[in-house]
Amino acid sequence: MLKIEHASVVFNAKTVNEKIALKDFSCEIADGDFITVIGSNGAGKSTLMNAISGSLMLNEGKILLDGKDITRFKEHKRARFIGRLFQDPLKGTAPNMTIEENLGLAYSRGKKRTLNIGISKRDIELFREKLNALGLGLEDRMKTPVGLLSGGQRQALTLLMATIVTPKLLLLDEHTAALDPVTAKKVMEITDEIVKKDKITTLMITHNIEGALKYGNKTIVLSQGQLLMDIKGEERKSMTVEGLMKLYSKNALDSLSDKMVF
Amino acid sequence: MKTNNKIIISWIPKVLVLAVALFLINTQLYQSQIIDTLEVGFVFSLLAMGIFISFRILDIPDLSVDGTFALGASVSALLTYNGHPVLAIFASILSGAIAGGVTGVLITKFKVQPILGGIITMTALLSINLLILGAPSRSLWKNSTIFTLLENVFKDYTDIILSGAVMLAVFLIMFWFLKTQIGMSLRATGDNEFMVRASSINSDTMKIVGFMIANALVSFAGAMNAQISKTGDTNSGTGMLVVGLASIIIGEIFFSRHTIFSGLAAAVFGAISYRFILAFAMSLGIDTKYTKLLSAVIVVIAIALPIVKKSISGFLKRIKERGE
Repeated sequence: MLKIEHASVVFNAKTVNEKIALKDFSCEIADGDFITVIGSNGAGKSTLMNAISGSLMLNEGKILLDGKDITRFKEHKRARFIGRLFQDPLKGTAPNMTIEENLGLAYSRGKKRTLNIGISKRDIELFREKLNALGLGLEDRMKTPVGLLSGGQRQALTLLMATIVTPKLLLLDEHTAALDPVTAKKVMEITDEIVKKDKITTLMITHNIEGALKYGNKTIVLSQGQLLMDIKGEERKSMTVEGLMKLYSKNALDSLSDKMVF
Repeated sequence: MKTNNKIIISWIPKVLVLAVALFLINTQLYQSQIIDTLEVGFVFSLLAMGIFISFRILDIPDLSVDGTFALGASVSALLTYNGHPVLAIFASILSGAIAGGVTGVLITKFKVQPILGGIITMTALLSINLLILGAPSRSLWKNSTIFTLLENVFKDYTDIILSGAVMLAVFLIMFWFLKTQIGMSLRATGDNEFMVRASSINSDTMKIVGFMIANALVSFAGAMNAQISKTGDTNSGTGMLVVGLASIIIGEIFFSRHTIFSGLAAAVFGAISYRFILAFAMSLGIDTKYTKLLSAVIVVIAIALPIVKKSISGFLKRIKERGE
């Protein structure tokens, strides 16, 4: 279970450019939850992800994972139990290393790296099996450098790398936004499949409201660094895209200012 | 088939260059010169492999190399002078690793810019090396070295056998190391640091480890060079980074850098080739003063060539389009 208590993140504090990205934000994510996160630009979605993954430290507040306080843990230490995917497909893989080497690195996540040979024969069999399940034909190209793959293939591979050792938490930051519609759909289907199969607790940012309602079991809406809405259960099942938009503009803290400025 | 043909065609000029080089070696150099050049080439392939780690694997040009080469020479010369030639080698490797570690900590923990971090260590080593050796240089003509120790066994061929064996051993160890989990983490750190941290690897630690290994190898080369040439010189490190880079670049004409094996092979082959190029230059009567200039020119040409090629082909294309 992930628990965020009174989290605050402020950029450029005490200057004219001060920007409160996350303001006294609290939320609880139960084991097995698949939560979709929506909100306008600058609402604090990515800040939330970065704060959970540790690439950004909280100014105030606490993050607890399974009761353990990880607020002060560094990024690579949190990565032992948090898997991550980014919008940019190039970010998640090492381009000059082969598919099997990338998977080998991901497979040793959370364990101590030793002077043992990086990829054993048994590992290769496992990788082949997992790649086969993606259905992209990557299992026959395991010695190919990842840099030669397409964006969609790289993103699918990153997904496999993030989940090959089942993480306690999976963070998806608009991971299909940079892909063409067909590939995006395919990667999203693979994501849903893996998350359901391994019952991974997942937090997914998306700009696609339809997708936000279609996947997962809960949707949260952020606005100006605060939790605006929390839609779940029956309410979520009957919710439509239009309905959500209407609800959003009624509740949004920033709707007025947004309209006036832009 | 088509790609096969392409590979064959791309090898034709390389094979020609090799053939000409071998012909020149056979006709222009005496046998003793060839052996001497090979020995020095083997020693400098340690340097090239070290720079391969920092420059190609970690993708950071590490300027502390100029200092650590001389550090290895100084430590090695001091201990050899005092009668411990074998210990001298191990002490040099260790001191090189420590110096590399300092650069690594400066860059990662104190966020010093990578190039500046190397320059700081190198500058500090200028004084440290003088302190260690006690003089700008020290002759080892009367002292026994690791090479003289084995003279009874290998007779006249001691130098080449020992330096060749060391080169081969280091090559194999590095090849094995880069395939281990830690070695793979090191390679990934230079390739995509972002992904490395997301895979629960401490990228700072990996960089420090990389710098330590790189500088340990460079210092090793300095130590071997001091004993094989029988002089320890605190100025022997000047320009070594560029010499190493030139070696790697020459080697990469013949070996691609995309696998570990060929990357390391390029470093070794390039280091040896570089020494032969120098030997020719000297046999033609060119002053040794100009060797560093030569290595600088080689590096500039190698880096500029793809860009010049591209702009020329673009220029030709535009002329063609205008003609139509």
